Amino acid sequence: MKKFKIGGSLILLVLALFLPQILTNYHLLVLNNTIIYFISALGICMLLGMCGQMSFSAVSFMGLAGFLTAQFSKTYHIHTLLAGVLAIVVTGLVANLIGKALMRLEGSYFTFASIGIVSIFSTLFLNWKWLCSSADGISGVPKLNLFFMTVKDRNQWYYVLLVAAICCGLFVERIRRTHLGRAAASVRDNAIVASTLGVDVYKTKVICFTIASTLAAVSGVMLVYHNSYAVESMFTYDMSVSFTLMVMLGGVNSTLGTLLGSFLMTLLPEALRSFQQYLRLLYGIGIILLMIFMPMGLAGVVESLTAKWRKHLKLKGKGRNNE
Amino acid sequence: MSEPILKLNGICKAFGGVVTAQDVNLELYPGEILGLIGPNGAGKTTILNLISGIYEVDDGEICFARKDVTRIKSHDRARMGLARTFQTPRFLQRSNIRDNMLLGTDLANHARFGKSFFQKEDKNFMKEVEELMELTSFTLDWNDDISSIPYGNRKQLEIVRALLTHPKVILVDEPAAGLNQKELERVVLLLHYASKEKNIGIILIEHAMDMVMNTCDRIIVLNFGRLIATGTPQEVSSNQAVIEAYLGRS
Repeated sequence: MKKFKIGGSLILLVLALFLPQILTNYHLLVLNNTIIYFISALGICMLLGMCGQMSFSAVSFMGLAGFLTAQFSKTYHIHTLLAGVLAIVVTGLVANLIGKALMRLEGSYFTFASIGIVSIFSTLFLNWKWLCSSADGISGVPKLNLFFMTVKDRNQWYYVLLVAAICCGLFVERIRRTHLGRAAASVRDNAIVASTLGVDVYKTKVICFTIASTLAAVSGVMLVYHNSYAVESMFTYDMSVSFTLMVMLGGVNSTLGTLLGSFLMTLLPEALRSFQQYLRLLYGIGIILLMIFMPMGLAGVVESLTAKWRKHLKLKGKGRNNE
Repeated sequence: MSEPILKLNGICKAFGGVVTAQDVNLELYPGEILGLIGPNGAGKTTILNLISGIYEVDDGEICFARKDVTRIKSHDRARMGLARTFQTPRFLQRSNIRDNMLLGTDLANHARFGKSFFQKEDKNFMKEVEELMELTSFTLDWNDDISSIPYGNRKQLEIVRALLTHPKVILVDEPAAGLNQKELERVVLLLHYASKEKNIGIILIEHAMDMVMNTCDRIIVLNFGRLIATGTPQEVSSNQAVIEAYLGRS
């Protein structure tokens, strides 16, 4: 099983490395955007899948980090990489404060409050002069400079994003296997059990929220540097909904599922371009069917199939022993 | 006898107009198994919930390990060494058995979020679990889902998880309910191991009277939130007030 996993990821990696060679420039743009959204969706995967807290505010922190980067690098002429890191850190701190306040609410009340956050931030992104310059946003953001190279074209961006996405993915997978991951799962499944096992439920929620928002911030910084502009319409409520759908489609508690979900959610509209007028309709029916037939997403389907397969093997093994 | 590890002093609790605990006093000593019995609705589980901090007391105080924990949060009490099990076993439903058990070990190790990110997994974990599993003599595939194993095994696993946290006191809520004879014997074995080998104080709620009479060192009887009798199993079973509470006045 382990060999299979390592082999599979190696094949995927090699494929990923050669992908830009066979894609057109336009498809590469779609692909890059997919990877950026994947990083944000990872945060939702962590908050919703691991910790069981549904939040729509990812897009706000994505936007905050994006606008901050744009201001730091363009107006204050801070080195682009440092500007990005600084924006992520500031956003992380803001998210921590907001998390501390919102996590006093439980379940769906928290979710509704997070919608309020989206609304507040989108007003800031339109009207706060210092942050967004004007309602049209900031254009001409300098190119990202990584000290040893400047990321110029989409091809180079693809590799930068690939590295970033792999790092973020491994980070979340590692968390899943440590105390924080288990504590979050206990908060999700049964908060009373969690507290009798010494898990500080409130603190765990705040930390998960902060990490998820920081991942959104990373993705926001990437998005702004990649497109070299920042405008409010990049960070709307719709965006948040589609992040959530990416996670639900792929598998709410699975990193690979989230990756798959991000691809499907960005590629399907491209593939179904000829049915444009029916797209929203198909989309709506799809969501309903998804919730009825695979509530745990594609990863959930795969998981239950492998569980069945393992049971089958076990029974077979037992049968042999009895003979 | 040494000093008590857990002490309740005049505990009161009411939900609206329903009084579920009224002036309850009790003491639990290390290594002792204290039975908590009473008819349905006597307020036994409420007492456990008050001790573990799931509910807050209206009046009175709770002392644990020489500290007043009356206003201390549930998770902090757990960190001080207060473990418990539930009437129906409660686990992380969507995790495998291994992760469920590891959560107990995390507590024993005082795991911290940041630190555990860089640490390797605790090697003693498997050794300790295997020791406990040997006692209960059943084998499991650790990577199985917790929901895939039978009810009886889950009930035993919950006690194993409580033991993994290295507690000073375990509160056990109806461990025998729904178990067959063989599983029941294993539960008793685990409880004896905990109290005699590890010197853990245990409060045991149970309806199976023969189990209570055979395992407990001392018994406390509750009725309508009031403590009506306390003593050794023999004393309690011949107590007139207790017989009345269970059978009604003739």
